[in-house]
Amino acid sequence: MRRKRSLKILAMLRTWSAGKKSVVVLLTGIVASMVILGLTATTIVYTSTEEFCSTTCHEMTTNVAMEYKGTVHDKNRTGVRAVCPDCHIPHSQIPLYIRKMGAVHDLWGHFVTHSIDTREKFEAKRQELAERVWIYMKENDSRECRGCHNAAKMDPEKQSEKAQARHAKAKKERMTCIDCHFAIAHNEPQGGVGPQELEVDKSLISKGAIF
Amino acid sequence: MSKVLEKIRSWGAAPGALGVLGVGLGVGLLFFGSIGAFMVHANSEKFCATACHEMGYLAAEHKDSVHDSNRTGVRAACNDCHVPHGYIPNYIAKLGLLNDWWGHYVTGSIDTKEKFEAKRYELAKRVWVYMKENDSRECRHCHNSGKMDPERQSEKAQARHMKAKKEGLTCIDCHFGIAHKEPEGPGPQELNEASK
Repeated sequence: MRRKRSLKILAMLRTWSAGKKSVVVLLTGIVASMVILGLTATTIVYTSTEEFCSTTCHEMTTNVAMEYKGTVHDKNRTGVRAVCPDCHIPHSQIPLYIRKMGAVHDLWGHFVTHSIDTREKFEAKRQELAERVWIYMKENDSRECRGCHNAAKMDPEKQSEKAQARHAKAKKERMTCIDCHFAIAHNEPQGGVGPQELEVDKSLISKGAIF
Repeated sequence: MSKVLEKIRSWGAAPGALGVLGVGLGVGLLFFGSIGAFMVHANSEKFCATACHEMGYLAAEHKDSVHDSNRTGVRAACNDCHVPHGYIPNYIAKLGLLNDWWGHYVTGSIDTKEKFEAKRYELAKRVWVYMKENDSRECRHCHNSGKMDPERQSEKAQARHMKAKKEGLTCIDCHFGIAHKEPEGPGPQELNEASK
């Protein structure tokens, strides 16, 4: 039975290779896969640059990119920075692809509904947009923060006493980075609730260590 | 033009052409995907620090240095300083792995701590020259000197950075022996200027 099946597969392969140019077709497939993978990777890398994020749409340029300028994540003692994608795009493969597909929503807002195409419209939506980011960060335990800031590698002795005390308290109360470190790269929305007041499903957080 | 079209049509007409194309696509995805996955894996701290015991010496020295543990927990692991971040230089550096394999499997060049210590100066010099030649490219991938805020640096650091700029020095000229032990012998600044 097994022999029969293997013969069948052999025969199938033979019919394929019987096609005169099958080697060329095979190579075409291999080259095509290289082009597809290459283009995908290049697109992802290019659309994850500070230049792309902060200059492609005026919505980003005139609001959030401008506000970010001069903050501690832009300019500091060592010149080690966090640019747009470092905080706002997942660093691991699958969440990254999901987020990139979510960018279709940005295109919709930019080209179709013009949801934040003026400073006034943006300001009117600031609280809503900020809350969306805060909830995302709370739900994944500030995963993107932790992409750079490794809590286990923080040296408390190099932190202020206030910071040490607050971190200890945050750990005990199962808080996450964004609960306190919000509005550090963009203007703080006025009049609404902060991240600590937002309720999220913390089941994801409780599964992993917070600090 | 019609000739070309005809040719393509004749390929497509071959029995199972679509299947062959599919196999080609599959093989290609697997092949190039594996290369990509290998590049990522071979850049991880875990791989670098544990795959060969020779690197274990260096990893142990890196531990608790400022690039490992600091106020903010923002780190630089092995690859951040020692593997180029651009595509082509990265591939070239990965080919250099062959030399590491040769040393590990064939010559056993630094397979004991004693041998490693005996070669430390030579190895350090190799890295210093590489970094001097590319103007500390890997340092600058994280440290953007245009985004450093001098007011947050000590006065000494400000003065030294000014001096370094004027004299055309590069990061590694002063910032050496910061993640691994400093070897005995002339430092990066004393190395042959011709290597620039």
